Amino acid sequence: MIIMVPMFNKSLSSRIVFYVLSLCVVLFLISLMVFYASSKQQLEEMTYQYAEEVTQKTVLQTEQFLSPVVKLAEQAGWLCKQMLNQPDSITMLTLKMAANNPEIKGMAVAFEPSFYSQKGYYFSPYTYRQDDRLITMQLGSENYEYFYIDWYQIPMHTGSAYWSEPYYDTGGGDALMTTYSLPLYRGAAAEGKPFAIVKIDVALDWLTENVSSLKILETGYATVLSGNGIFVTHPNEALIMNQSIFSYASELNNAELREIGRSMQRKKSGFVSSTLKGVERMIYFTRLPSSDWTIAVIFPKSEIYLPLRSITLILVVVLLVGLALLSIIISRIVKQQLNPLGKFAAAVHIIAEGNFNVALPGIKTNDEMKGLHDAFESMQHKLDHYIRSLTETTSLKEKIESELRIAREIQMSMIPKTFPPFPSRKEIDQFAVLIPAREVGGDLYDYYINENKLYFIIGDVSGKGIPSSLLMAVTRSLFRSISQYLTDAAAIMSGLNSMLAQNNDSNMFVTLFLGILDLETGNMSYCNAGHNPPLITTDTTRFFPVIPNLPLGIMDGFEFKKQEMQLNDNTRFLLYTDGITEAENVQQQLYGDERLLQFVEGTTFESPQALIEALLEDVQLHVDGAEQSDDMTMLALLFKGVQQKYEKSIKLKNEIEQIALLQDFIEVTGEELGLESSLVMKLNLALEEAVSNVILYAYPRLPDKEIIVSVTLKTNDLIFTVTDTGVPFDPTLNENPDIHLPATERPVGGLGIFLIRQIMNEVTYSRIHDINVFTMKKRL
Amino acid sequence: MNILLLNTHLKYITMIAIVVQTCCTGLSAQVPELTFMPHWLPQAQFAGYYVAEAKGYYKHEGLSVRIVHPTASSTQSPTLKLATGEVDMISLFLVSALSERARGVELVNIAQVSQHSGLLFVTKKNSQINSLEQLEGKKIGIWKSGFDEIPKALINSRNIKVNWTPILSSVNMFTLGGIDAMTVMWYNEYDQIINAGYNPDELTTFFFSDYDYDIPEDGLYCLNETIQKRPVDLRKFVNASMKGWEYAREHPEEAIDIVLGVMKKAHVATNYAHQKWMLTKVLQLMETEEPQQKGVLNKALFEKAQQALLIENRIQNPVRYSDFYKPVRVHK
Repeated sequence: MIIMVPMFNKSLSSRIVFYVLSLCVVLFLISLMVFYASSKQQLEEMTYQYAEEVTQKTVLQTEQFLSPVVKLAEQAGWLCKQMLNQPDSITMLTLKMAANNPEIKGMAVAFEPSFYSQKGYYFSPYTYRQDDRLITMQLGSENYEYFYIDWYQIPMHTGSAYWSEPYYDTGGGDALMTTYSLPLYRGAAAEGKPFAIVKIDVALDWLTENVSSLKILETGYATVLSGNGIFVTHPNEALIMNQSIFSYASELNNAELREIGRSMQRKKSGFVSSTLKGVERMIYFTRLPSSDWTIAVIFPKSEIYLPLRSITLILVVVLLVGLALLSIIISRIVKQQLNPLGKFAAAVHIIAEGNFNVALPGIKTNDEMKGLHDAFESMQHKLDHYIRSLTETTSLKEKIESELRIAREIQMSMIPKTFPPFPSRKEIDQFAVLIPAREVGGDLYDYYINENKLYFIIGDVSGKGIPSSLLMAVTRSLFRSISQYLTDAAAIMSGLNSMLAQNNDSNMFVTLFLGILDLETGNMSYCNAGHNPPLITTDTTRFFPVIPNLPLGIMDGFEFKKQEMQLNDNTRFLLYTDGITEAENVQQQLYGDERLLQFVEGTTFESPQALIEALLEDVQLHVDGAEQSDDMTMLALLFKGVQQKYEKSIKLKNEIEQIALLQDFIEVTGEELGLESSLVMKLNLALEEAVSNVILYAYPRLPDKEIIVSVTLKTNDLIFTVTDTGVPFDPTLNENPDIHLPATERPVGGLGIFLIRQIMNEVTYSRIHDINVFTMKKRL
Repeated sequence: MNILLLNTHLKYITMIAIVVQTCCTGLSAQVPELTFMPHWLPQAQFAGYYVAEAKGYYKHEGLSVRIVHPTASSTQSPTLKLATGEVDMISLFLVSALSERARGVELVNIAQVSQHSGLLFVTKKNSQINSLEQLEGKKIGIWKSGFDEIPKALINSRNIKVNWTPILSSVNMFTLGGIDAMTVMWYNEYDQIINAGYNPDELTTFFFSDYDYDIPEDGLYCLNETIQKRPVDLRKFVNASMKGWEYAREHPEEAIDIVLGVMKKAHVATNYAHQKWMLTKVLQLMETEEPQQKGVLNKALFEKAQQALLIENRIQNPVRYSDFYKPVRVHK
């Protein structure tokens, strides 16, 4: 798994292998755990059973040895009672029985004190084996008062047979011994006080060997404990005969072990566990049926599971090898199966670069991979086809777009875009915008001045795009041409309507507002063909009162009604198309007439341009980035008022006396125009000089010649023109005189032009068709 | 070579030989020997002496002490060995010593090691014997080898008739139900019963000390003539022995190891736990209220013990305290 992790993100095959192996590992672990748990239980049961069997077998073996001893004692007892009158025969009996039963170490029949008067206080014939010889002797003596020894005393007092605690045979080396003692009663039943004890000594070396050879698991062992819990056999020899299980428990400070010892004394057999020297051990014990000794097997609990561990280890190793093989095989298979995917990916990369005819990996199988192959192949063909058509469409579209661009330029060039359009006309100021929703739009505006009349229109062709733009162009052209001949607004409208209605197969129409403003009088006649009413601002702002009539192109012969109104100075108009009022925001809320009215009302109409720009900003604020759906067109017009005109002239004869007439003429003009007297005086002076020049130099001594002096007020300029038909004379050519020279030394006339230049702002001379024209301009 | 010269040579040689011999005798005489026999097989009951020997306290006092033990089956008592001069010193229970004295062995107490009685009767709780009086007619185990005086005196003092059953040494008669009660030593047999699988709460105990029979036990004895001949050696022995006991009290673990070593050498079966119990209890029995009481035979208790023996008819004539108790140790 550790190897897999870095590969995890690398490839699909690695991932598949990883998942499959992970699943395998999980399955394995689960089965291993199930196996382990069930095996553990089985092993426990088996081990317990085995321990029990081994112990019982040992018990049986021990019994096979001990029960003959019991039988022998009983036999001896019976025989003894038969020959009770012959004490010496009893002595012989011990010898014979010891001789006939080599498994016994010694045998005695010990009688109560002074049982046979002739035999003294102690009568206890005893035969024992020493180095394959049998020695018969009397046990009892002053030095060995057997009456007080356990083997005699205990059965004598308890009245029942007794297996002595094990002891070391002091005579025959260190052999571990035990003695079976059987009390003898006079009667058949065990009644009254026994009169003698039959004693048989047996060596325990066979038991020691037998038990020591017992092995349970790895370090398990068997032990034999006496009735008092003394260790008769134990792998630790120091314990044998020195320790009881109780003293050992006390030494180990292990109360549990003491309780186990007590159980051994009280129960026939049992299974207990205890922690001995830091290891949890299982103890199986059983008591010998013939004595109160206990055989116990002790083994560490952990060793029960030792075989399981090795099996588990083998299993794990096998599995790890299996997993390794499995991972190699799966990875091979998966890689082989998924190999075309990589090739497909490479092919797609090449396709993405535009090469649709790249070769796909060959698939021989008829599976999902084949399906993928076919799908790729089909995709290749379709892509190829699609890209071809797309290329064509794109080039076509580009062509159209470029044509549209040109069309837009043409369309835009149709409408006047120079502002202010008539700088010389102080009466009006105007500004207009047209923002098409598409490349080309159906809105239009136009204006021009003919014979002091301003013709202006704003209109909206139904629909959008090229058809509308074409109709717009037509409408504009018709307006220009028709208004050349017709001056009546209704007539122009009717003309337009008639022209547009004819051959209107596409049923398109145009809403249009036409105004004709007489700049000299301030009178405006207008006609509305279904267009939005413009806004007018005088003291207040309001929608124009208009007769709607019908849009153009709908009904040929419709009678349009025109309207007229007299404009005051500083009247303002705002003409617009529904692209403004119907401008939508994302919530599809319209800009609306109300807001338009309010906005215009709240705006200081500094100039038409400022109004339109501010309004456009407000509209943009409203739509808030929503796509423009319709053309937006506005035309703002400011009528400042009718311009005043002043024009006068006087004819003078070529005589110096005529100067007085000129003075009157200037003074009258000054009065009429309300000029200051100082200015009038200066003007008088300049004109006297100019006329004097003509008299002196243009008409030298020709009194019947005429001099015409005219004065014109153009806006703020007061223009004086002096014309004569004399010899060419350009006073402006004279240098400025040296005014520092004494008057007598100055050249004649030079002072005149100097004076004129001082008074007037502009002085020009021109000779037109043999006439001298001398013009002087004075800014007021 | 002339005879004279030879004679002269012989003279020298003889002189040298005499000098050497005298020196050697003199040297050996500087390390007096003492043979000490505890009154039972080696066990922690005698730990102080083994410790004194092992730690070199005897040697340090300039003594060469030989510790010998009686054997389990021997009928020759330590007193007999003392009387025959086989051993110089023995340890003995006070009552045993008084009995022996009455029998004519001229032994004297030179130090009373134990100060209290370690005796008690034990019964099994399930025998329903809850008072001494309930022992009436019951079989009571008692050591055959002696030391039966006080138990009998106690029982007789209460006019209880019991069936005394002599026993050599094991507790098996008791554990296997051969007898109803058993006379045991607190520091020895009682623990053997515990180590045979009986829990203390399954036993009923009758401590003699609770019945006004707190008669001190182990003491050191020698013949009267020895104390007159070798008072210095005896004093040295007692001092070194008491030092050994003190060391054992302060280092019980080490003392038990020493005891176990001695026991192993003597092929006596035992175990650590039992010897530890024994040492602890023996040391408790040695405790006195006053430090100067250590090793001293309390006169009142002496009289009490003698009284018991007289009543029990074990002795006919009382011995004088001062004749019996001749401490060799100088108490400050």
